Amino acid sequence: MTTSSELNMPEIAMAEKEAGKWGMVIDQDICTGCQACVAACAMENNIAFVGEEDSGYGRAMHWIRIERFWEGEYPEVKMTNQQPMMCQQCGSAPCEPVCPAFATVHSMAESLNLQVYNRCVGTRYCANNCPYQVRAFNWRDYKRPEPLPNQLNPDVTVRRVGVMEKCTFCIQRIFKAQDQAKAEGREVMDGEFTTACAQACPASAIVFGRVDDPQSLVSQLKERSGGKTHLKELGTLPNVTYFNGG
Amino acid sequence: MIKKIFDWLKQPLGLIAVGIVFLAVFSAAAYGIYLTQQAPEQPVPEFPHQTHVAFGIQCLYCHPGASKGPAAGLPSQSKCWACHNQIQKTVDSAKLAPLKDAVINGESLEWIPVAIVPDFVQFNHRAHIAAGRNCEECHGDMSKVTIAENPQVMNMGWCLDCHIEAAGEDQEKLIKLSDCGTCHY
Repeated sequence: MTTSSELNMPEIAMAEKEAGKWGMVIDQDICTGCQACVAACAMENNIAFVGEEDSGYGRAMHWIRIERFWEGEYPEVKMTNQQPMMCQQCGSAPCEPVCPAFATVHSMAESLNLQVYNRCVGTRYCANNCPYQVRAFNWRDYKRPEPLPNQLNPDVTVRRVGVMEKCTFCIQRIFKAQDQAKAEGREVMDGEFTTACAQACPASAIVFGRVDDPQSLVSQLKERSGGKTHLKELGTLPNVTYFNGG
Repeated sequence: MIKKIFDWLKQPLGLIAVGIVFLAVFSAAAYGIYLTQQAPEQPVPEFPHQTHVAFGIQCLYCHPGASKGPAAGLPSQSKCWACHNQIQKTVDSAKLAPLKDAVINGESLEWIPVAIVPDFVQFNHRAHIAAGRNCEECHGDMSKVTIAENPQVMNMGWCLDCHIEAAGEDQEKLIKLSDCGTCHY
């Protein structure tokens, strides 16, 4: 297997070796699949409403979705736990090296996968190379009927046609908390802020925080046995840990 | 058909026509560019920044958001009125009529922001003020202008020049200040 260093990749697309900075723990045993996170995410991040027709083409835009799986053969089917799926903010992300415009780059400062909308030219290579299928493409300029434009989040760019987008781990909230903490001359405290999905979750199945801080709630939850990351065999180093059947 | 058109264009009259069309397009483009460089018309025409600065009013009195959050803010008519209701000129001067009318009718003054960044840029005034930047470093000397104008084109190269200079030798700061995600999300 050829590694990125052998290919002499530019430094900007370089992978990480260890755990990232921000991480998430999702407990599927307490997730009820209520989709509150999906709604909260759409509101927080100005996600467009695609409509019936384009959804039929598989162009629905969600940064987080609830996956459902079944076990067994009909009629003895048994539904397994719901599985919220969003961008795993991989340490070694497959989406990054394929972008010809360097629109999806790795943030060295926050250890996140960035999507720079003004750089994106819409090749959709990243979405095709994402093993988690969590990227959404703006196939059209989707209209927001009045008065919906009034609820747009001013901290997040409103994307236009031809631009790829994905979960950012609510980077606007990260920066807002960091800015607030800096103004008050202190460090960001654990649990001071959280992502929109984690905030909306009525069962607290989603926990967000610093994974490089062993004292944080998310690190302690992550340390429990039985946690797994998805598609570990691909070596993507995801920053979202799932607990299922524990 | 196309050959006929080319033959016609090659005769003197045709060349003159081509010249006129070229000049028209060029001057329209030049005028369009000129228009983008003009300060927009404000609700109070010829609002004199220099007079307000000369009275010793701080930038932060009218734009207090700059030290607290992302947007500096543009003053509402009630802020103007705090001083202007004590000034005889407010009643006499025709230039101040829009302010007087706004206060009497309870309407707001709709200032047009001049220093703007595109929607995909997330700018925060507070961080820049906290880093020791002064207002005039980006917005120019307001004691010399009437309506606010942009002293320079605010593009990414201009931002990054200052960011890289501010980071200096500090590698960690450089990574943070040149990170795409610092401004674009």
